[in-house]
Amino acid sequence: MLNIKEYVKPDTVQSAYEIGQVPNSLYVSGGLMVSQIKSERLERLIDLKSLDLDYIREEEEYFKIGANTKLSSLISHPSFSSLGEDFVKKSIKEIGSVQIRNMATVGGSIAFRLGWSDVITIFMTIGSQVEIYNGKFQKMDLEDFISQKIKGAIITEITVPKIEGKCIFEKFAKSNFDIATLNLGLRVSLDGNFIKEARIVAGSRPMISQRIREVEEFVTGKEIDKISDEASKLIQKVIQTGTDLRASAEYRKALSGSLLSKALRRVTQ
Amino acid sequence: MSRVLTKEKLNVVNTPVEKVDGKALVRGKPVFTDDFDLPNALTVKILRSPHAHAIIKSIDTSAAMIEGVACILTYKDVPHVIYTRAGQGYPEPSPYDTFILDKKVRYVGDAVAIIAAENENIAERAMKLIKVDYEILPAVLDYEHAQDPDAPVIHNEPEISGAYDPKHNIASHYEMEIGNVEEELKKCDYTVDEVYYTPNQSHAMMETHAAISYFDPNGRLTVITSTQVPFHARRILNRLFGVNCRVIKPRIGGGFGGKQALHVEPYVVAVTLKTGRPAKCVYTREETMTASNTRHAMRFRVRAGAMKDGTLKAIELWGLSNTGAYGEHALTVFMVAGSKTLPLYNKVKAVKFGGDVVYSNTEPAGAFRGYGAPQGMFALDSALDELARKIGMDPITFKLKNSIREGETSPIFKIMGEGREGVEQIIRSCKIEECAIEGAKIFNWYEKIKKPRIDMKNKIAHGYGVAFAMQGSSIPAIDMGGATLKMNDDGTFNLLVGATDLGTGSDTILAQIAAEVLHTTVDKITVYSSDTDITPFDKGAYASSTTYVSGNAVKSAAEKMKKEILKAASELFEKPVELLDLEEDKVVCEDGRSISFSELQTKLFYTFNQRQLEVTESFVSEVAPPPYLVSFAEVEIDMETGKVKVVDFLNYIDCGVTINPVLARGQVEGASAQGIGMALFEDHIMDRNGRLITDDFFTYKIPARGDIGKIEVRFAKSYEPTGPFGAKSVSEIGLDTPGPAIANAIYDALGIRMRRLPIRSEELFFEIRKKYG
Amino acid sequence: MKVNIKINDRNYSIEIEPGEMLLETLRKLGYKGVKHACSTASCGACTVQIDGKPVLSCSTFTAAVDGHEVKTVEGFSNEGVLSEIQKAILEEGASQCGFCIPGLVVTAEALLKENPDPNQEEIIEYLKGNLCRCTGYESQTRAIMKAAKARRER
Repeated sequence: MLNIKEYVKPDTVQSAYEIGQVPNSLYVSGGLMVSQIKSERLERLIDLKSLDLDYIREEEEYFKIGANTKLSSLISHPSFSSLGEDFVKKSIKEIGSVQIRNMATVGGSIAFRLGWSDVITIFMTIGSQVEIYNGKFQKMDLEDFISQKIKGAIITEITVPKIEGKCIFEKFAKSNFDIATLNLGLRVSLDGNFIKEARIVAGSRPMISQRIREVEEFVTGKEIDKISDEASKLIQKVIQTGTDLRASAEYRKALSGSLLSKALRRVTQ
Repeated sequence: MSRVLTKEKLNVVNTPVEKVDGKALVRGKPVFTDDFDLPNALTVKILRSPHAHAIIKSIDTSAAMIEGVACILTYKDVPHVIYTRAGQGYPEPSPYDTFILDKKVRYVGDAVAIIAAENENIAERAMKLIKVDYEILPAVLDYEHAQDPDAPVIHNEPEISGAYDPKHNIASHYEMEIGNVEEELKKCDYTVDEVYYTPNQSHAMMETHAAISYFDPNGRLTVITSTQVPFHARRILNRLFGVNCRVIKPRIGGGFGGKQALHVEPYVVAVTLKTGRPAKCVYTREETMTASNTRHAMRFRVRAGAMKDGTLKAIELWGLSNTGAYGEHALTVFMVAGSKTLPLYNKVKAVKFGGDVVYSNTEPAGAFRGYGAPQGMFALDSALDELARKIGMDPITFKLKNSIREGETSPIFKIMGEGREGVEQIIRSCKIEECAIEGAKIFNWYEKIKKPRIDMKNKIAHGYGVAFAMQGSSIPAIDMGGATLKMNDDGTFNLLVGATDLGTGSDTILAQIAAEVLHTTVDKITVYSSDTDITPFDKGAYASSTTYVSGNAVKSAAEKMKKEILKAASELFEKPVELLDLEEDKVVCEDGRSISFSELQTKLFYTFNQRQLEVTESFVSEVAPPPYLVSFAEVEIDMETGKVKVVDFLNYIDCGVTINPVLARGQVEGASAQGIGMALFEDHIMDRNGRLITDDFFTYKIPARGDIGKIEVRFAKSYEPTGPFGAKSVSEIGLDTPGPAIANAIYDALGIRMRRLPIRSEELFFEIRKKYG
Repeated sequence: MKVNIKINDRNYSIEIEPGEMLLETLRKLGYKGVKHACSTASCGACTVQIDGKPVLSCSTFTAAVDGHEVKTVEGFSNEGVLSEIQKAILEEGASQCGFCIPGLVVTAEALLKENPDPNQEEIIEYLKGNLCRCTGYESQTRAIMKAAKARRER
């Protein structure tokens, strides 16, 4: 039990935001993360469930995903789940368990900016924008959102472009029910055998997900079945990793190389 | 599942009867300790040391006595009686080196104060208000440095007894030698000399430690506790507090040895005695991980030698074991690392075993399924695998050639017992040849090893490993179990046993044994187990003894009951006993008359030679017939990451006749999974201050579904003449083989020998990189 | 604060603490089949269904369940008649200590509702959040396969 004073369920984003400005308040969507908090000071939980943010809307060029959409809904949505040649379906399934995916929301998974988040790596790989409310609605790249601390803001929606090309998600974990020791997302569009465009994201380094631009640039314009070794070497050189109880920085570097070459191989398989 | 051929015609034994407690369990009925709510009960929480080694200079609880706190107890408020938490027979072979609460704390998590409050919230708030002033002492966090000249002394309390050399942090020491290992090794064509490590491992039973205590309406102190050793718990509580009590074991959510010790009981009893009120304490997962028991981590140097023809000549196992802050099971677990491994290779000319069990400022080690054998066998089997490779012999052939057979013995049985001398025994059932040879066929061993191991294109390697093991069945001449049978006028029986079912299914198999003898069915046997006021004594659930010891006790009680029934019927029919027999819930007479059990007991109650039919029998084992196991592992290694997956794990086991083949299979499958956990997944990681950081299921990964490939179990056709209906033990042995079988398979795949468990993908990856680039 | 929750088809209107977890509420109400084993959303022993979907009650705020329908293991066997899943678990020896079993039953019920004919891989994937320390999982997989077959033939 959390020793808090109140649990409120505002029904507009504005009122939720206002309550959120009161010290010692915290937003809760799925509840998974919040329930683990042992903060003595926490007084108030603001449940975002009544904000009507549980939807996946398909538009001509984009998918719009309400922040309170559960991860399990991403898998069961017929067209969104097949984005990136079934990338969404396959990658989200590697997160947690059925129970966890029935609880965790897209917004909550991003808001905590956890280093080991698979969700952030996955949504960065497909290139997403985050809509937040902090007195006013504004949109920014997911990559920008996670790199800055915006106090008291509420994530309301994620916009995902209908990307072309193939995406691959690679996750290395000790157990198949475990967080990643390292995760990696790859997106490529090909022109024949040549890589037209590439995006490479690595997370759980154990620091938060990051695009590895040097390697993206290196592989662009090259033949996909010939660059695996060199790309793997390069990512190990440029990626920044750290040590924690799951692995050393050195091993994580090595893993980044291995996961990238696996991903590149899988594109052509 | 095919039934095993036996020497007796069986109706109930060797059939897959459903667990007698199964319906309650699958429906989620309130049967576990924490499911019992007592009115007016206090919630008990324990303040624990944040330091690995410190003296409590002062402790001030005054600010913590907030409203709703019933009492806070420190070392000043509880009996100062030295004891061991180990739940063993009396006198215990473990040193007395522990107090309920002490002025000195010896690991991060050691108990400092007991808080009892109206609810958990208040207890937790109060805990934070207790002021403790510690004098922090240097600590021994690495057991390999426990004997350094400048190592701090962990146990300097004057009351300590039974420890070998506490001034040098040695809890126990043991050594023995048969023949002359040094001389024999010199004559060998091939030798190995390597060092192997096995880790601390957490039991990770799903139900955490929990206990409730209260005075019953007549003022009798009663303790409901999640324990494997209710009778030892009663004895120890009596010694600590000088109060008689009744200990009741409800259903247990797993134990694996972790509950073969007192954990929570002294705390709740102290509170009930102080306040007169019911008290309940349920450990958090973190407390269970950090402040209960772990498997003893061990290091073994193995020296072994053999001739060109594969004749094994000499083995030496020299070890160091980490017992942590207290010496629970220190000597006995260490000895089992030798006594339940070395007799397997009884043909050697010389064998030596010994070493020290040391204290360190880490979580106390204790009993854990396998009880030292998995540690010893990882070292021994790995070394023999290395030796076989050197000789150029197939490891199955090599191990089989040198292993024990029916009709043989090993001098070790007599020399090494449970912390003292053991007993001689001739092996009367040993089907290790069938296990190895038939197992190899089912596993396709000789086909598989012809295949190439490494697929360089996909960077995947496959390897095949085999490991042999033995265990025991009970502690001979020490373990005793009793059983009482009472016949009712509805034709059913009550079976009262002290035996402790902790999820293993022992209530069920004991009912099967009674039903078999009494020519009835399991649904007519109502089992009451482990209530110290009601059931006869039993040592408890450990040392692979329940099927063998308690099973024999039940069998002999049932045989006595059968005699009593026949005697009563002979009086009724006025026919000699020889003309009567039991048949499907009734007594039949040669002349065609018969009487059902129900009618007979009804007559005995009300109208004829009135009496209650009831018998009690006890059984003490004279021998400990080992079960045998040969396990075959196929691993798949991702050479790009070092990740090892056990894709196939075949166990071919000789456990005598299986009383219940489905439950026996479950014991082996479960032990394999725990062994795979120990080999590949489970890692105790401490920070610099000795705090365990893998202290929950988020960081301490026991194998999840999907982490384990196929586990298969086959039973050898075997019959142990001294066991109940030919049975031997089955619960522990499965944990002995996964470590070595997996390490051997990794070597087979890559030519890389991993001599330290758990085998971390990270370490293996860098070895692969070194070797293959 | 006050919440209205339907538990195993029975309506409750109850007073709760704002920071109370569903696990605590359910156990207080006597649904002891809901087990507390880890507190870190890592074991699945506390699994219940909310509106038919398996979730972890240790990490669900009771306040968030206001107006929803909860089903615990107690809701899956009527008057002591075991479900196919429960029967198969017994037959296959898939319950040893039984502490993880309520969570497993609740999760497996959802699996068979979504997918009446799962293969071995799908069973393992769906149930991977339910840890078991006793069985090594093999018997549980066999039990779910068997139960699925029994349900299809019902």
